[in-house]
Formats: sequence, structure tokens, C-alpha cells
Amino acid sequence: MKILIQLGLLFGVCILGDLISSVLPFAFPGSVVSMLLMLFLLLSRWMKESAIEESANFFLKNMTFFFIPFGVGILRYAALIRSVWWQLLVVNLVSLLVCFAASSWTVVLVTRMQALWRRRRNA
Amino acid sequence: MLEVLNTPLFGITLSILAFWIGLWVQRKIRHPLANPLIIAMTLIVLILVFFDIPLDMYEKGSSVITLFLAPVTAVLALTIYRQRALLRSSLLPVLLGTLAGSVASLFSIRWTSNLLGLDQVVLASLMSKSVTTPIAIAITEQFGGIPALTVASTVISGTLGNLLAPLLAKMFFISDPVAHGIGIGSCSHALGTSKALEIGEVEGAMSSIAISLSGIFTVLLAPLFFL
Repeated sequence: MKILIQLGLLFGVCILGDLISSVLPFAFPGSVVSMLLMLFLLLSRWMKESAIEESANFFLKNMTFFFIPFGVGILRYAALIRSVWWQLLVVNLVSLLVCFAASSWTVVLVTRMQALWRRRRNA
Repeated sequence: MLEVLNTPLFGITLSILAFWIGLWVQRKIRHPLANPLIIAMTLIVLILVFFDIPLDMYEKGSSVITLFLAPVTAVLALTIYRQRALLRSSLLPVLLGTLAGSVASLFSIRWTSNLLGLDQVVLASLMSKSVTTPIAIAITEQFGGIPALTVASTVISGTLGNLLAPLLAKMFFISDPVAHGIGIGSCSHALGTSKALEIGEVEGAMSSIAISLSGIFTVLLAPLFFL
């Protein structure tokens, strides 16, 4: 019963997320609304971690399993993928390099600036 | 004989079996290229093609599995919540770093895709490929892309990130473990994070925070880059 209640809570939050997403004036995926809603519930302490812990851990641990059907869908697009496979690899590699450089260097620069400010305030 | 398989249970059972084999192979080989998702996908495709089982028959069951994509995304909140102390300790660098990563990723995907002449549908399927798969699929569906292509691309970028993580730090002169972790998580989600966890504790924790944060930023920013 405990797991059932946890699942019920989780699914309830998901339905609420979809509902909010459907009334938003702009397009925003319901599942991500549910995630933000869940984060809000946890941070505001309206929901304890223990209220969803076991079933949430199940989903987190087996997350990859839920992507298999989308992956198998590739069967329908075999011809498309054959025609653009090297472009896909190039896009992936370029964006990996750009994304890594941008995010890691931003962290380095912001950390340095913060240290500078702190030193200035103390001086 | 195929009639027996015409139940949702077939697709579910086949997926579980294939995933189990995928995990087993991963444990045996212990290499990022032995990805359980790719192994399971390939196995199922081979079985369907070899036994001439229609994809529709598999999808009867697999559509039950995809129902759970929403709760799988929702529980990602827990991964941020569990790291909240760490997040608070370096809030500004982490938020700005993942934000910069999302912008750079969207910009470079848009730019290279246009340069290589990829069409709008393919672009819609690639825009989100740096972020965690459930969020990436949601973004793809929002812009009318092909989720299968998104899954393939997120696996590719995750695997590349995993393989190249140590090299990337050297290439871009990154020695700060926080910066390294945020970089890995921003561009190669959970697959990269498993490597970050091997590199170090701070790298791993930062990388796992970056997964969900860059997912949120990418959802917010993707519409700007797709117009």
C-alpha cells in the first residue's frame, strides 16, 4: 500500500503539472512543470522526501529503461538516419565542445569574480 | 502464432528482457560504449526484424512504458533537492555556468545544423540533445521533432562526453573541479555524470546538479532558438 500511495502522489503531481501546462499562455512541457512543482513541494516542505522516496528511487535507478521504446522507434526512420548520420555526428561533436567550453569557463570566471569582490569588500 | 503476441504484455516483457541483457553486457564489459540503452534497442530491433513482427505489435506494450515518462521527469526534482546544500554553496557559478552551457549548446546546434543543411524536423529533434533524455523528448515533441532521433542523439552526446571528459578539461585548461563537473553535466547529462563520479566527488555532484538545471534552462530557451 505504501508504494501505491507514493505512486498515486507522483502521478497526481504529474496530472497537476499537465493541467498547469495546458492553461499556460505559452508552450511548456507538462512533465517539466511537474518536475518544478515537485521541487517546489519538497523545498517548501509541503511534501517530505519520504512521501515518494521508494518509488522515486525506482524511477531514478531504472530511468534508462523508459527510453527504450523511443529508441526502438528509430526503426521507422532508418532511411532518414542513413541520409544524415555524419551530419548528426558533426552537430554532436561541435556542440559538445562549445557547450563544455562555455559552461566550464563561465564557472571559472564567475568564481574568480566572486573572489575578487570578496577581497575588495574586505580590503 | 503471432496472435499470441498481440498483447501489451509482449512489448513490456521484450523491453525488460532486452534491458536486462543490456545491463548484463555493461557489467561484463565495463566500457561507456557498452551502453545498455543501445544494446536493448538494437536487440529489440533485431528481434522484430528477424521474426518479422510488426512494430505496431511491439508498440502496444511500449506505449504503456512511455506513459511513465512524466513521473520519470518529475522525480528528477529529487536529484536537485538532494544536492541543495551543495547548490547553495556555489549558487551563482553553478546557475550561470549551466545557463551559459544551455545557450552555447542551443546556439551551436542551430548554427551547425543550418550550415550542414539539416531540415527543420531534424533540427527540432536535435535542439535538446545535450540535456537529460526525458526533458529532451518533451522538447522534441513540443517542436514536432522525431523522439527516436533525439534519443539516439542524447546517447551519442552522452557517450562522447563520457569518453572525452578528462580530455576536455585538458583541452580547455580546466583545473577547477566545480567547473569540470558543471561542464560535463551540462553537455552530456547522466552518461557523462557517471564519468564525472569516477573523476571525483565534487565533479560528480556538480555534474548531477547540472543535468536537471540545464534541462530547465534548455526548456525555457529552446523556443528562442527554434523560431
